[in-house]
Amino acid sequence: MSLKREQIVEALKNIVGEDYVVTDEQVLKESSVDRFRRFEAYHGVYRLPLPAAVVHVNSTEDVAAVIKFANENKINVVPRTGHSATEGGLETALENSIVVDGSGMNQIIGIDTYNMQATVQCGASLQELDDRLREQGYTTGHSPQSKPLAQMGGLVATRSIGQFSTLYGGIEDMVVGLEAVFPDGGITRIKNVPRRAAGPDIRHIIIGNEGALCYITEVTVKIFKYFPENNTFLGYTLDNMKTGFEILREVMVNGYRPSVARLYDAEDGSYYFSHFAEGKCVLIFVAEGVKPIADATATAIEEIVARYDECVKVEPKLIERWFDHLNWDPANLAAEKVEIIETKNVCNTTEISGNWRIINDIYDVCMQRVRSEIPDLTLLGAHSSHSYLNGTNLYFVYFYNVVDCRPEEELSKYHLAIKKIIVEETINAGGSMCHHHGVGKHRTQWIEAEYDSSYYILKKLKSAFDPNSIMNMGTIIPLDK
Amino acid sequence: MNILVCFTTVPDLELLNDDDWVIDKNLQIDTSFLKPTLNSYDESALEIALTLSDASESVKVPVELNALTIAGTGATTILKTLNSLRFNRVVRIDSHADLRFRPAAIASILTQYVLEHAPQDVLLLGKQTSIGENAKTHLLVAEMLGWLCITQVVGIELVDMKHLMVTSQVDDGQLRQRIQTPCVLSIGDSPNTFMRVPTLKDRMRYGKRPVEILSTSGFQLSDETEELIELEVIRHERAGILIEGRSPEEKARKLYEAYLKRSVLLKERLPEH
Repeated sequence: MSLKREQIVEALKNIVGEDYVVTDEQVLKESSVDRFRRFEAYHGVYRLPLPAAVVHVNSTEDVAAVIKFANENKINVVPRTGHSATEGGLETALENSIVVDGSGMNQIIGIDTYNMQATVQCGASLQELDDRLREQGYTTGHSPQSKPLAQMGGLVATRSIGQFSTLYGGIEDMVVGLEAVFPDGGITRIKNVPRRAAGPDIRHIIIGNEGALCYITEVTVKIFKYFPENNTFLGYTLDNMKTGFEILREVMVNGYRPSVARLYDAEDGSYYFSHFAEGKCVLIFVAEGVKPIADATATAIEEIVARYDECVKVEPKLIERWFDHLNWDPANLAAEKVEIIETKNVCNTTEISGNWRIINDIYDVCMQRVRSEIPDLTLLGAHSSHSYLNGTNLYFVYFYNVVDCRPEEELSKYHLAIKKIIVEETINAGGSMCHHHGVGKHRTQWIEAEYDSSYYILKKLKSAFDPNSIMNMGTIIPLDK
Repeated sequence: MNILVCFTTVPDLELLNDDDWVIDKNLQIDTSFLKPTLNSYDESALEIALTLSDASESVKVPVELNALTIAGTGATTILKTLNSLRFNRVVRIDSHADLRFRPAAIASILTQYVLEHAPQDVLLLGKQTSIGENAKTHLLVAEMLGWLCITQVVGIELVDMKHLMVTSQVDDGQLRQRIQTPCVLSIGDSPNTFMRVPTLKDRMRYGKRPVEILSTSGFQLSDETEELIELEVIRHERAGILIEGRSPEEKARKLYEAYLKRSVLLKERLPEH
């Protein structure tokens, strides 16, 4: 027989102590959602089952004890650290879930500048870690837009990526070793080695699991030497995305690795660059590293771009200053809330990836369909921000006025309708519906299409590691499967 | 009722780094690499004007909305946005002169525009810009036009073709007055006045309408009595102490023991007043 809410709370208090179990109603409401449902949350609408409690854990042993208890009693657990997720991954899909908040486990355990790695607890702030490293001439190289808010456990769990990924890689390239707690309460440590061929790379079972398989409690990441004095900012305006993709491809295929390689279409670009690129696409590169490499990268990029007559170089300071203020911080989020409530104008995004041959077609068809099928749009654009040898991502950005609908209808009328178009066109073209935000709970309906025959592997992982179905149910794999 | 909103765009100075605050020989700071943004009080004025236009049908007062800025081509994007929001007339008076600290010059241009180019019933202006911060322009315009001026306006309602109900902030509350046009209204801290966002369809349909461009050479600028002689960067800094600790409880304990305990104990010993 399942436990009642009060019994769950009492048991949690016995495990971690009364001071670390929160049952305040407003906290529970806010803990039932993440940024995906922010429009309705800003209007005080919370439609999901309230969790039984938010538990603040302070150690791996705390996590193990709480999750073991949940597993024995078949209670849904939502792992959380920075609470900056954007795809519903932190939503409490089931009644009386336990939100296990690891933000108190915020220690930077060690920085090893000889072996070039740093070990942190799951609640360690990426911003604090990177600031500390930069003081010593190093960097994590990881800079997602949520950097001032995000914490390491969540960044690894969502398989996140940062603005400098073209040089430093995504989080999956940065993780050396991990510690995680599995539903049976078992604590697993994967050691820190540079590489091994001792079976499959089991780190990748944990990286990107979005809390659906285990709870990440500790992470070791690579660190890199940091040479900001050599940063070279390059910006160009151009007429069309197809040319921009060709240039990005040429840079990547020839082996250059600028830390930033971005292509904005005119609409998305207008949001940031209208003062110098009205009606134009914008290409941005940042070359960094030791001086010979940074210089050679910048020189090579300039030579590549020079072969395209339509590209016009812009003053580097325009790009540099824009870049300085790209990230969110708590002040931005507070201002966003006020503006959304007053204007009823909301911004959302959907990010996908595809090989070079298909990416421009995906862009064209998605733009055409969204523009013609979705009402009340005030901006629709896209940019490529993470490029690889064999392709790139697209980050669709759309603003819309919420018109003639209640807050709780906003998602289905606009965001999910747009996401459906983008996801289905991308999968049809052979791309991936999900580049770096995670599946969360709102792309699960397409997960089988995304994986096709390899869905078998995903399902087996879930059934093997979470046989009692307690880990963040409804994430990655839909509830009814 | 012809309503003219006079607005300006300003660089977002929050985006300047410390080493960007370099004052050149012309007493300018290079902000050319910053995207211009609507001056916040002017944004309120524009949204209030749009709200009046929304209400015009129900109160049976036809409203013509006009917008004017004195600026270079940097204002193009916002002008297109105002066209998309269906302002009837959007005007840019082309200027490359340094008018940052010349409210009388701006006021004289606006006055001549109203008297010689396009008669208006109501002028709306934001109370000040984040650059000049002189809060004079609206007063000077009203003086030059010989019109009533109300400052710190937070709300406006249409009454009839010749009257408005104007709410303004005063020292001990708010004042609501029935005002006869013509008048100059200076918009203060008006809540809920972020400017609305035009749809893509409206931008396609209306955004490309022409902007009327005039030149300051066609206007007589008033002689200023004040001359800009120096700029100094004001550093807004506050002394602070970082309290470190492994948990919020530990930090709170340190804060209390090191800084608060003494003042709490002192307060306990002092008689109550």
